[in-house]
Amino acid sequence: MDTTSGTDTRIGRHAHVWRKKLNIWWRNFLELLGELRKHPLAMLGGFIIILYLFAAIFADQITVHDPMAGNLRNRLIPPAWYSEGSWEYPLGTDAQGRDILTRVIYGARVSLAVGLISVGISVIIGLALGTFAGYYRGRFDSVVSRLADLLLAFPFLIFAIGMMAFLGPGFANLILALTFKGWVEFFRLSRGEMLSEKTNEYVEAAKVTGHSHFSIMGKEILPNIIQAVFVLATLRIGYMIIMEASLSFLGLGIPPHIPAWGSMVAAGRDYMLVAPWVSTVPGLAIVILVLSINLFGEGLRDILDPRLKVEG
Amino acid sequence: MTRLNLRMFTILMVLAVIMAACGPAATPTESIPDEPEAPAPADTQPVEAIPEGGGTVVIAMAAAPVSLDPADHRSRESETVIRNMFDGLVTRDNTSGVHLQLAESMDWVDEQTLEIKLREGVKFHDGTEMTADDVVFTFERIINDNQIEYPEPHTSPRKGLIAPLESIEKTGDHSVVMHFSGPWPPAMQLLVHQQIVPKAYIEEVGTQGFIEQPIGTGPFKFVSAQPGYEEVVLERFDDYYGGSPDLAPAGTACVEKVVFRVIPEASTRVSALLAGEVDIITAVPQDLIPNLEANPDIQVTTAAGTQPKWIELNVNQAPFDDVLVRLAMNYAVDKDLIIEQIYGGRAVALPGPLSPFNNFANTSLSPYPYDTTKALDLLKQAGWEDTDGDGFLDKDGETFAFTIDTIESWRPLAEAVADMYRAIGIDANVRFWEYSVIKPQLQAGERMAWLDDWGDSAFDPVGHFEAKWHGFVADTPYGRGNFSGYNNERVNELTEMGETTPDETERHTLYDEAQQLVYDEAPAVFLLLPEEVEAASVNISNWAPASDSRQNMHDVCKSE
Amino acid sequence: MKAIKVLERILATLPIMFGVAIIVFFFIRLTPGDPVDIMMGQGGAISTGEIEQLREEFHLNEPLHIQLWYFLRDAVQGDLGYSYVLKRPVVELIAERLPATIELAMGALFFSLVIAVPIGIISAVRQNSLLDRLSMSGAFLGISMPGFWLGIVLILVFSVYLHWLPVQGRISVGIELEERTGFFVLDSLLSGNLEALKSSLLHLVLPSITLGAAVAAVTARVLRSSMLETLRSDYVTLARSKGASEWVVVMKHALRNALIPTITVLGLQIGILLGGNMVIETVFGWPGLGRMVVKAIFDRDFPLIQGSVMIYAFIFVMASLIVDILYTYLNPKISL
Repeated sequence: MDTTSGTDTRIGRHAHVWRKKLNIWWRNFLELLGELRKHPLAMLGGFIIILYLFAAIFADQITVHDPMAGNLRNRLIPPAWYSEGSWEYPLGTDAQGRDILTRVIYGARVSLAVGLISVGISVIIGLALGTFAGYYRGRFDSVVSRLADLLLAFPFLIFAIGMMAFLGPGFANLILALTFKGWVEFFRLSRGEMLSEKTNEYVEAAKVTGHSHFSIMGKEILPNIIQAVFVLATLRIGYMIIMEASLSFLGLGIPPHIPAWGSMVAAGRDYMLVAPWVSTVPGLAIVILVLSINLFGEGLRDILDPRLKVEG
Repeated sequence: MTRLNLRMFTILMVLAVIMAACGPAATPTESIPDEPEAPAPADTQPVEAIPEGGGTVVIAMAAAPVSLDPADHRSRESETVIRNMFDGLVTRDNTSGVHLQLAESMDWVDEQTLEIKLREGVKFHDGTEMTADDVVFTFERIINDNQIEYPEPHTSPRKGLIAPLESIEKTGDHSVVMHFSGPWPPAMQLLVHQQIVPKAYIEEVGTQGFIEQPIGTGPFKFVSAQPGYEEVVLERFDDYYGGSPDLAPAGTACVEKVVFRVIPEASTRVSALLAGEVDIITAVPQDLIPNLEANPDIQVTTAAGTQPKWIELNVNQAPFDDVLVRLAMNYAVDKDLIIEQIYGGRAVALPGPLSPFNNFANTSLSPYPYDTTKALDLLKQAGWEDTDGDGFLDKDGETFAFTIDTIESWRPLAEAVADMYRAIGIDANVRFWEYSVIKPQLQAGERMAWLDDWGDSAFDPVGHFEAKWHGFVADTPYGRGNFSGYNNERVNELTEMGETTPDETERHTLYDEAQQLVYDEAPAVFLLLPEEVEAASVNISNWAPASDSRQNMHDVCKSE
Repeated sequence: MKAIKVLERILATLPIMFGVAIIVFFFIRLTPGDPVDIMMGQGGAISTGEIEQLREEFHLNEPLHIQLWYFLRDAVQGDLGYSYVLKRPVVELIAERLPATIELAMGALFFSLVIAVPIGIISAVRQNSLLDRLSMSGAFLGISMPGFWLGIVLILVFSVYLHWLPVQGRISVGIELEERTGFFVLDSLLSGNLEALKSSLLHLVLPSITLGAAVAAVTARVLRSSMLETLRSDYVTLARSKGASEWVVVMKHALRNALIPTITVLGLQIGILLGGNMVIETVFGWPGLGRMVVKAIFDRDFPLIQGSVMIYAFIFVMASLIVDILYTYLNPKISL
């Protein structure tokens, strides 16, 4: 222990420990960034993700038009690069005269929120159940594993569609529908990892030295599992975003008056022949975001967990 | 082959065999065989003068028929297909009104009794001759309870359209007498919408057999249909008696085959027409008209509309229980702008509860003008003001918010109207439903605003006015489509009188007063009446869309 | 011995199907909304007497567990109930629409294999070449595009602008085809109907590409990575040293072993093929099971939804089972 002032009090000592931990984390983070520089595509992906996040958070400040208010006189104006378009509506307007760029930016809120929250909850549930099941085994494990198998019998989209049909449109319902099956993957992953980690020496050592089960799980094993889980999570966010868009496209996701990319594409179908941008532009927003997430996630995986690499 | 490959091969072969064996057994409704499977008429050899033309006409509709049983539906699409397979006692021509079809003559013996002489030599598609027995059977099947036994016994949903018919009796092989409960002026108009079905056949095969293989007296006979009626194939009936002699061309149909196909998305319908996959399309949205008009191989026609659109407001629930609010809702909508932008000018604003083309429309009424100042003023009088500066009106701490329920087809209209309400500070949103799902909720008075239409194709208030604006009375046709909960004693009275008063001038007076009352009390936001726009390829001739959605395929010819 | 293991595996799916049936049943029964209202919503004015009749007929007045019993008992006998809206037995409706969905799934599978296998192999053999980088980027794109968007874009390009391919549907209107199996391609071959064959194949192109894109992307990547592994393995080096030609080395040795994880992954992709087809069928107006289910959901046609979801689950479980079995036979080292 070092003798800098403030360490004689208990709070002082805790603060000191935490400061050290923060330092370590910060250094790890910088190291990560350094590594990332070797993967230009992943960096590009990360940059775009930040751009989307920025747009979603500051939507009110950076947009000029109202995403919900239409003006019939401005219906179906083409994007700026067409001869009839103008820079007032850079990506054109939809059938109600609403600015598409504005709605795409607001739509980012929905997609990002749904993606992050549903994956987040799935991770928490899956991780918790998986570590417990893998560690303790026994009845708990078999019950939850059976349940997971059962849920796996349904193709994802069908399950989600079915649930949304019964729950009705709505943000909370959407999250519920997506996480209801979403946790299974994380459960299996953490359980598998737990099973293999459990046999390692450091676990035996911890047991011998009298650590409680809880602290073994939490302090020793968990950090090793988290990396794999984290990598899977980043890849799943893109998938959840596509799921949300598909549900909204079918009319089973977000209520129609809230701008969401999927429902924007669906609404634009009627005008495909005269105004193809109404459908294609929001879809493009989805593609770019998901592509960036996938690229970033892949890069992350390369760095954190080289043994999972798909590349040679 | 190695052991491995042989195994894989066997497995795949087994799978292939299983899949082939598991194919559905051919049923008459599925396959499209070369020979017609329907009980063939005795002489299917074409009569000597084969009409010029022939060919197959494909029509794309926006929604599927729900039934091919003339007594078991309430949908336009069903009637469209049905009226090509089944004829009625009378029919209506687009321009010249009602004409006799299966009936040779109809005479009112007195105010309540109608004597009908039936045409002789009319054949059903199975070769049997139509007689008075069939006519009696047809109508008794509609007006008596629980006559339709498939899938469960139920009453014909078309009963309300001929409610005053009390009984019908046979007076000869080709004559019947109809007894009505009272004078019924719109009788002819409404009899157009009922078609004759074969008694012996239905009694033999039951309703189930009947809808699997319908048999009628119309110019086309049934060939096949896909599940859900997404595609219905009809073939010319060569023994057709010719149709109404008043309406040329008489004789058998010009084309040989008619296919009704369902393509719900408008742009897909239009693409299909442009690609030559279909010959005729209905319900063309105005945005796509220029595409079609620019094409020299396409003809675009319009007909006066018969589906007026309004938003019914729930008069039993706040805030729409206040007439001032309802009037404000009418003043807040810029109908002209909507007509100009969404309908390309092809619509008229509704002056009141009835279509302006209805023979009994109150001509003194004119549409509520667009006046946001007046609207806000009325709302203020009702207690709604924006006191907290959030951009929305509120009253007693509650924001003025509501949802417009509607079906997907009216999306552009609903969203445009919702936008206009938001512009004056009402938090209006739109929600889309399937009609069958929301209907029970509407009937129970659980929704606040319902945007839809109700067919007004008889040009007579009956069939429409009493359904919409009369208070709801269970087990009667009154208020069967009344989703606002509007119930005005005087209006009810006038409606009932209007149905049974034979004198035209008197009917005008009665209905005028009723319309004025409904207009003043505004249980709905009266929106507009769009024209029916349809398009066809130029090698289709003798085709004219009718305002009652009838697709008269009998007249249509196709050249190659 | 393997046969018994296979049988065991098959039997193990039964409890899963049972569980699926129960889950589906409860979901439906617990939804707000009166089923009788929905059935009545189709007609016009219905008398109150008929409503009671319907309640009796559909056992709606009985307690929940009795209803469950009726449901299970009927389901086992192959009776999945009656569609409220279409008024026909659910099993019949599903049987009529299923071939269309399966044909589409097979088309997508065919497309993805045709694309993924060669690309996977060549990319591994010529690692880091331009082709390799391009195809891996393409693979990324493949999993990042939502099916509904890709379908719309393909329609815009190939149907609306270029007029090369049809816009929607399974076959052009007016072409007569004798349906024996319900698989249009097969039926046109069986009846020698060339016009129908051409039309049905053309109609299959865009939907198959759309549905198969994501599967192709994943399969290509997995095949490539497993090929890379096997190409470095001992027995391949051995084969090379014995003087075997490169072609034989690649195809016979490396590929055979690389196929194993690929097939596993392919099996997992069946979920995408089955789930994704609801969206694809909606975009392309494909008259299959997926589109019927979506419409049934909006119509609140519970028996139809119930039956269809169960069939989907059943197919999925069966497909996974078949993949498992194939996997076993392919890899003699592994027993079930």
